[in-house]
Amino acid sequence: MGEVDLPGIGMWTTSVGSLPKPPYILAARSQRARGEIDGSELRDLERRATKEWIEFQSSIDTDLLVDGEQYRGDMVAFFAEEMPGLEIGGLVRSYGNRYYRKPIATGPVGRDHPLTVEWWQFAQSLTDRPVKGMLTGPYTICDWSFNEFYDNRRDLVLDLARAIRDEALDLERAGAKYIQIDEPAASTRMDELDLVIEAMGIVTEPLSVHTITHICYGDFHNAYPKMLDIPVDQIDLEFANSEYALLEAFERTPFDKYIGLGVVDVHSHVIEPVSEIADGIRRSLRYIPPERMFVDPDCGLKTRTVDEAKQMLTHIKQAVDQVRSEVAVALR
Amino acid sequence: MVGSYPKPPDEGEPFVLRKALHSLDRGEATRDDVEKAVEALTEQMITEQENAGIDIITDGHAGWPDLLRPFAETWAGFEVGGLLRWFDNNTYYRRPVCTGPVECRGPATVEAFRFASSVASHPVKAVIPGPVTFARLSVDEHYRDHEKFVMAIAPVLAQEVFELAAAGARYIQIDEPALLGAPEDVALAQRALGVVVAEAEPAEVTLATYFGDALRVGPEIFDLPADVVGLDLVSGPASIDLIEHAPRGAKIQAGIIDARNTKLEPVDDLVAMIDSIETAIDDADLRLSPSAGLEFLPREKARAKLHRLGEVAERVRT
Repeated sequence: MGEVDLPGIGMWTTSVGSLPKPPYILAARSQRARGEIDGSELRDLERRATKEWIEFQSSIDTDLLVDGEQYRGDMVAFFAEEMPGLEIGGLVRSYGNRYYRKPIATGPVGRDHPLTVEWWQFAQSLTDRPVKGMLTGPYTICDWSFNEFYDNRRDLVLDLARAIRDEALDLERAGAKYIQIDEPAASTRMDELDLVIEAMGIVTEPLSVHTITHICYGDFHNAYPKMLDIPVDQIDLEFANSEYALLEAFERTPFDKYIGLGVVDVHSHVIEPVSEIADGIRRSLRYIPPERMFVDPDCGLKTRTVDEAKQMLTHIKQAVDQVRSEVAVALR
Repeated sequence: MVGSYPKPPDEGEPFVLRKALHSLDRGEATRDDVEKAVEALTEQMITEQENAGIDIITDGHAGWPDLLRPFAETWAGFEVGGLLRWFDNNTYYRRPVCTGPVECRGPATVEAFRFASSVASHPVKAVIPGPVTFARLSVDEHYRDHEKFVMAIAPVLAQEVFELAAAGARYIQIDEPALLGAPEDVALAQRALGVVVAEAEPAEVTLATYFGDALRVGPEIFDLPADVVGLDLVSGPASIDLIEHAPRGAKIQAGIIDARNTKLEPVDDLVAMIDSIETAIDDADLRLSPSAGLEFLPREKARAKLHRLGEVAERVRT
């Protein structure tokens, strides 16, 4: 079990992973795709944007920071681009008018070099606050890829698990104290939840840091309480999008891990007011004690504008401050 | 065809619809601009299906965010809610939330059907969600009773079907993928689909299921009021056993090509699969299709799959 070493009474603020790319990054990525600028020019801008997001998160006193993934296009494609055995495929739709490049497994999948360590080191060098190591989980990489090589999904998932474990170990060696292995696809097929658990076990077994997984937009009512068997210290879930419906399930089976409480809907231009977010946190405190609670948006914020994301994170922080002071008074 | 076709263009081509929708979002384009982009894309989708040798095509759902939204946005009684995963795909839809009595406020898809038919040389199959699937994938805050909710949706879908048939639809497909996960709803589906199908004359009605096997529903699936039953033989290979129990004269739309993986099936494998189906039913009663809508694949891959389907159909015919 990885300890949480953060100041205060809990309800620590964090982010799920991605933060919006400022317009200059979007423009530079297009220029790079057209060959108008080279990789190092793009990288300089990505470093600038990373620095800006670290500064913003510090400015609102975020407890556990993320690097904002300014250098990643998509949470699966980023890994697929760098891993042997995976190729980047064509565009497919995610929802509404959003599309992503779906990778294709075309050979044995593995990892031949660190994928995220340098970026984590860069982000961590900019702040004294802890920065999360951010990885995409093996089940999700498999589920969000086409498979033209493996006879079955399990073989692909387990090869991916060994590759992601090696990356996680490198992050731990580099000094990361919090490592998040996202499995948004975990709630897709109840008959494969055991495979999610097995694969996550391969990743987290050798780690001694605080481990987190993020799961979203799926069949929670059937996945719970079985999802508590996923071997991580913290599960990060969306609550705002589903109007806190999952709390009912906690009534029946207590949630016994640290929770990442998603309190703003990331797919809406309407930003919840501070009072509404604070209410959500208060309701959740009936089921999860403050010292086992992190508070963040429902999901990554990359689909929002920079201003929207900043406002969402600021509202979350203000709501947390409000509830923290109430809890502090109650504890006196 | 089962329904959807990929919206993104071939690699390197401009993605006109996506740009138009982004511009609309920013207030820099009008609904008309988006409509034009949808029509242009519909024409492309139809041409590609026809070039692949597909006999019964669809409009490709170029203008639909998901199967339910055109209806939820047209009918009275619904609001559009939060995102949820579309079955077991990495594709998401917005859940319709029923907040009042469901009422028809005019057809949701007839205009798109008319446009598609006007540019197609092959018959266009109109596609609508079934009442059970619509109810199961929505949030019911009004009726608070599954059966009542399903039976409230059925007459509104019946109105849509009536208008489609009146607009000249010779083929109408009713999608009930959710029925595979809810076999307890079969009797309810029987009644609700009866209401919908009664208005379809003279169109031929296909009841499409996908993303799983129909064994849990059992041979009762052939008793449901439809002329053709669609089965996904890729996600549910066990459904082949069900075909063996199909009553004489049952028509099958057999989803034999994987609509959700890029790997192109060898012709011989597909022919063998068709042979095994044809031991149970007559050739004339068999339709060959992808396992589901093709929007889960990149455009080039979807096109390759359709061509493979056309090729295989040609081979088994000769």
